[in-house]
Amino acid sequence: MAAATRLSVRNIHKSFGAHEVLRGISLDAHDGDVISLLGASGSGKSTFLRCINLLETADQGEIVVDGERIEMTVRNGRNMPVSRKQIDRIRAELGMVFQSFNLWSHMTILDNAIEGPVHVLKRPRAECIAEAEALLEKVGIAEKRHAYPAHLSGGQQQRAAIARALAMKPKVMLFDEPTSALDPELVGEVLRVMRSLAEEGMTMLVVTHEMSFARNVSNRVIFMRSGEIDSDGAPEELFGKGGSPAFRQFIGTFGS
Amino acid sequence: MDFPFLFQTMKTLLAALPMTLALFSLSVLFGGLLALLIVWMRVGGNPVLSRFARGYIFIFRGSPLLIQMFLVFYGLGQFGFIRHSFVWPALREPFVCAVLSLALCTAGYTAEIFRFGLRAVQPREIEAARAIGMSGFLLVRRIIAPIAFRHALPAYSTEIVMMVKSTALASLVTVWEVTGVAQRLIAQTYRTMEVFLCAAIIYLVLNFLILQAMALIEHRLSPHRRAAVSLVPGGLPVSR
Amino acid sequence: MQIVETLGFGQTGWGGLLLMAALMTLCVTLTALLIGAVLGAVVAAAKLSQSRAIRTAGGVYTTIFRGVPELLIIYLVYFGGSSAVTMIGAYFGYDGFLGLPTFIAGALAVGLICGAYQAEVYRGAFLAIPRGELEAAEAIGMNRLLRFRRIIAPQVLRFALPGIGNVWQLSLKDSALVSVTGLADLMRTSQVAAGSTRQYFLFFIVGGCLYLVLTSMSDRLFASAERRASRSMPAGIGQI
Repeated sequence: MAAATRLSVRNIHKSFGAHEVLRGISLDAHDGDVISLLGASGSGKSTFLRCINLLETADQGEIVVDGERIEMTVRNGRNMPVSRKQIDRIRAELGMVFQSFNLWSHMTILDNAIEGPVHVLKRPRAECIAEAEALLEKVGIAEKRHAYPAHLSGGQQQRAAIARALAMKPKVMLFDEPTSALDPELVGEVLRVMRSLAEEGMTMLVVTHEMSFARNVSNRVIFMRSGEIDSDGAPEELFGKGGSPAFRQFIGTFGS
Repeated sequence: MDFPFLFQTMKTLLAALPMTLALFSLSVLFGGLLALLIVWMRVGGNPVLSRFARGYIFIFRGSPLLIQMFLVFYGLGQFGFIRHSFVWPALREPFVCAVLSLALCTAGYTAEIFRFGLRAVQPREIEAARAIGMSGFLLVRRIIAPIAFRHALPAYSTEIVMMVKSTALASLVTVWEVTGVAQRLIAQTYRTMEVFLCAAIIYLVLNFLILQAMALIEHRLSPHRRAAVSLVPGGLPVSR
Repeated sequence: MQIVETLGFGQTGWGGLLLMAALMTLCVTLTALLIGAVLGAVVAAAKLSQSRAIRTAGGVYTTIFRGVPELLIIYLVYFGGSSAVTMIGAYFGYDGFLGLPTFIAGALAVGLICGAYQAEVYRGAFLAIPRGELEAAEAIGMNRLLRFRRIIAPQVLRFALPGIGNVWQLSLKDSALVSVTGLADLMRTSQVAAGSTRQYFLFFIVGGCLYLVLTSMSDRLFASAERRASRSMPAGIGQI
């Protein structure tokens, strides 16, 4: 039996002014898929990720999260979601990890992690704290749970941000260049956490420049170029000899 | 120095302190609430409301409080429809007029202070909140307002001290608070220095207490801006 | 039509008097600003002094004049000053009450207050001068006076300009309180006109509008002065 489809995106278009950033991207993610999105900067991969949880609104296209279609309508000539409630609910099901962590600076790490479960999902606080502490333990920063973001290293902040996203029990995790803002020596600790998530069967969509992650952890690699999908396939295949000339050139510049 | 006179003066002035405190606390309360409304109009995106809020802030920050207070106290009673309306029994009271004009005025200043606080909220912290499904009032209550208020606190403390001083103007519309009583004592005794000394001490102590309270609030609200050492409440210092 | 006559410049109109009064308000505030500039510079120097006692004295000054209601300070200067003048009069054989001229009392009182605010502005501006520039001046052998005149004063003035603008606005509004001594400033004249015509609302609105004209015009003036003064500074540094 084929695994359930967690996320299905059809024909996404997005322009900023005259500049067309996404030109019809489609993608299906099944349960347990770990998909790496590669591409030069400006190829539209971050915009694509942000369109999925509607931090940007696509001009055109369809998004289905775990069987639920996001309803869109055209108002004043712009594509808009119909129901704000639905968007909030969908967002709660999609965990997002940002390049710049985006932890709330006025809350401790633990408070960051329980904020969503307690106030968005309205679950009992004690339960949320217990779960959040387990998650912080898992990402290896349990001892920092009463510290504030400003007092943590970048790697620790990013691991906390991953725990915050996991605390919502998301169906799909979206990673937007999670290691790009980190010093090289801190990249490893974040990748280790992501790897163990992948091994547990979390469905993940990862925009990244980490070739080793794309090659060794993900089960599918998508290479984007000028707002379109250039190559799409299993890492062994693409990194073997299946990739397009543009992809070969791209990984060449990364020296792998 | 004439200690019995100072003692007597202090006693007389302290008797008027509750009035000063009542003027102060009521106008800070109502002014603060009004300021929230004005900030909401100013940044809410509706061009008509935004222009109204701009105009409000311009008028109340650009003209002296005394003329605003006289306008409320003398000006409103000139109109028959106000004198015959249900609010007149309240508006004919000098105390109500004083609180009303103090609150209207401080709302203009406070709205600007809150607006600058709002500008300190980082877009990415809002984005992170949206990404977990927060929106509308929940987003304002949990993320935007706490961050903005912390940033606005130092300027807001200054505004609150200004308000303590502004309550003195109520004496000019016949509300007998500390400065009004002091003026009466000076006119009766011609012992300006002594009376001034007593009144000044009252205000300075009051300001000191208010600033201490505000500093305490600020300290409580911003552990994230202090050094990492005193982080765990009641626990051992955490090292980095 | 009646309004035109009441506010006009004719025999029964108050227009001319109101404009004269606005001029008076400007004069009092300007004089106060100059008194405050001298006091402010001295107090700022005191607060930056090596000597602890002098620093404390500076601190006491700013605490009192920023913390005590403006009205109380005006009473102190007016009544206190009048007692002093009366005593001097008595020494020369005149045994009636002599009042301190209201213009002098008003300008002095507002000057004392705005001196305290200006002291803070100058102190902040001095601290904003990069230490290296002062060392560079010392290194090429400038003496203290020359350093002050060539390096410190011009920079302090530039850094202080936005702050002085704020103090000016504050003093313009504080000057309305001088009306309690009977000086025919804009506030007092609006009040007299309102009382004698029973048109309270009209005259307080007109008076308020004239204050708004004064504050917004001077706001523009300071903004353009700031632009001129910050030409040599990298963007953003002009705003302290």
